[in-house]
Amino acid sequence: MGSCWSFGEMSWVKYVDQAMDEDTSNPLRRMSSRTRKVAPKMVAALASNDNRTQAALARLEALENDNAGAEMVEINEDDDASLDDDDQAYMRKQSKSTKRKTRQAKALENAKKAPRTFLELVNEANLESLPPHVPSYLRAAVGPPSSTSRRHFCTVCGFTANYTCVRCGMRFCAIRCQTIHNDTRCLKFVA
Amino acid sequence: MSNVVVLDNGGGLIKAGIGGEREPTAVVPNCVGRPLSSKKWLIGDQLHSPSSDLTSASLRRPLDRGYLINPDLQRDIWSHIFTSLLPLKNPSLSSLLLVEPLLNLPSIQRSIDELVFEDFNFNSLFVADSPSLVHLYEASRSPYGLVSKTQTSLVVDCGFSFTHAAPVFQNFTLNYGVKRLDLGGKALTNYLKELVSYRSVNVMDETFIMDDVKEKLCFVSLDVERDLQIARRSGRDNLFRCTYVLPDGVTHTKGYIKDPDEAQRYLNLEDGAQSPQLKTKEGMDRLEVLGKSNDRMRIDLTKNEFGLTNERFIVPEMIFRPADLGMNQAGLAECIVRAVNACHPYLHPVLYESIILTGGSTLFPRFAERLERELRPLVPDEYQVKITTQEDPILGVWRGGSLLASSPDFEAMCVTKAEYEELGSARCRRRFFH
Ligand SMILES: [Zn+2]
Ligand SMILES: [Zn+2]
Repeated sequence: MGSCWSFGEMSWVKYVDQAMDEDTSNPLRRMSSRTRKVAPKMVAALASNDNRTQAALARLEALENDNAGAEMVEINEDDDASLDDDDQAYMRKQSKSTKRKTRQAKALENAKKAPRTFLELVNEANLESLPPHVPSYLRAAVGPPSSTSRRHFCTVCGFTANYTCVRCGMRFCAIRCQTIHNDTRCLKFVA
Repeated sequence: MSNVVVLDNGGGLIKAGIGGEREPTAVVPNCVGRPLSSKKWLIGDQLHSPSSDLTSASLRRPLDRGYLINPDLQRDIWSHIFTSLLPLKNPSLSSLLLVEPLLNLPSIQRSIDELVFEDFNFNSLFVADSPSLVHLYEASRSPYGLVSKTQTSLVVDCGFSFTHAAPVFQNFTLNYGVKRLDLGGKALTNYLKELVSYRSVNVMDETFIMDDVKEKLCFVSLDVERDLQIARRSGRDNLFRCTYVLPDGVTHTKGYIKDPDEAQRYLNLEDGAQSPQLKTKEGMDRLEVLGKSNDRMRIDLTKNEFGLTNERFIVPEMIFRPADLGMNQAGLAECIVRAVNACHPYLHPVLYESIILTGGSTLFPRFAERLERELRPLVPDEYQVKITTQEDPILGVWRGGSLLASSPDFEAMCVTKAEYEELGSARCRRRFFH
């Protein structure tokens, strides 16, 4: 039974990871935070013709987002700026130590490569190759629910939704909400 | 005084202090943030300062999905905590008790060991996991209770990054029984942002504000169908409607609930779901006040504010039904059942009878009650289901660590810097978690 659950999880992880891998090499990553947020979703959409699947995937990925995920180079520049500030006593103190300076140089170097995401680290760890009795991150995933019933809530107003948008798969409850959906939300997570 | 630093390095909050004390010295966000108007990144407690306006602040976190991915950033945050908050003059004279996520990756363990021994020069290190520390703390609180007598419990940790159901036996976490649900407080806040941004105002960049909204206004429904009906009603009959006022950056830099009494009205709902808050004297007084107030402020669109109704319970609902969100994962009750079933049948009854809830996301009102209602039908009739919430679900892990750090054999359990230098990360790690 365990292997069945972890299989479901593994395939999910790999799926998301694929989308994220492509994101790393995507030039859009360097853009401002608002624009960047769209990038992985666009990449995901390009990778597949299935908008509904991609929209669902992108939505889940967005739930783990921070708003300043990829601004690696910038923080180091700003660290330096904050060293001059009187409030930042600890930084000033540390900047006096030469060790800190070499570390900062190293950090600056590292910063040019954005840190790898956790899902990338999981892939590198090659956990699938562990013998089946060894507990691992992948095997601890709870797995799919035993009941396939899913309640649907209108993405516009939140009430029980009986209709599905044919283009993006999102739910709505009535014509009023459908209009709002079409005008403002449709395919939002895809493009 | 003990010279053990106890550090619960959570994805949302860092809890840091000195072993043997009851309270951690510092409880600060494990992130750096840069306000819109500033070039400077604020660290940890600086984000809590009343003068900092965090509207649309950029955020960066060293942890992703609960695991350390950015040691450089983590070093800056720890360094700030050690030097200005604890304070810790010389780590080479101290030991570190560090709480690590379950089933950590060896590559991440290696970078943590480097941080601890090479960057900070700690004298020795002990790595603990949160379920065993929570278990230890609860067992010590009631030495004659079931958890203590059987040395067994099922710890459900619903934190910032994820949720774990973890069986603990003979005071050790049984890793082979651990089940993880990939939902925690961070995803719930992001989900709330999404709903409010769709329906009212764009709050996609307002993590701190929406954390506050979630913590103050969300609750767990005991009957979703009924509550959705109530949330459709207009005016006073809608017991869930309330208004949150966003900071304007001029008169107030923090958001607030427009009418706190209005926001509490859902507690009046009768369904045998008497909230413990209502049984207190204070609760009864509040009810009376509610009865008297008639004019409820309407949502004022000239102000920066938004109304909430069904979002208040639809958001925490995801912990119980991740499938509603499109996640292919079982909800919390099934997660617990699977963790129990992975253990020896001999342990099943005692695990169900000693479920301990910890983690900030268990603080939603009626969380334990809902969980019990969902769990009961899934558990054999002859077993009791008993769920206790930790007195302080945010600090419970840290307090367990503080207790362990003050035990006489603590030093003997640690890996010293000399051992690390001789044996390397991987071999030292074998000493922890049996
Ligand atoms: Zn609707
Ligand atoms: Zn659509």
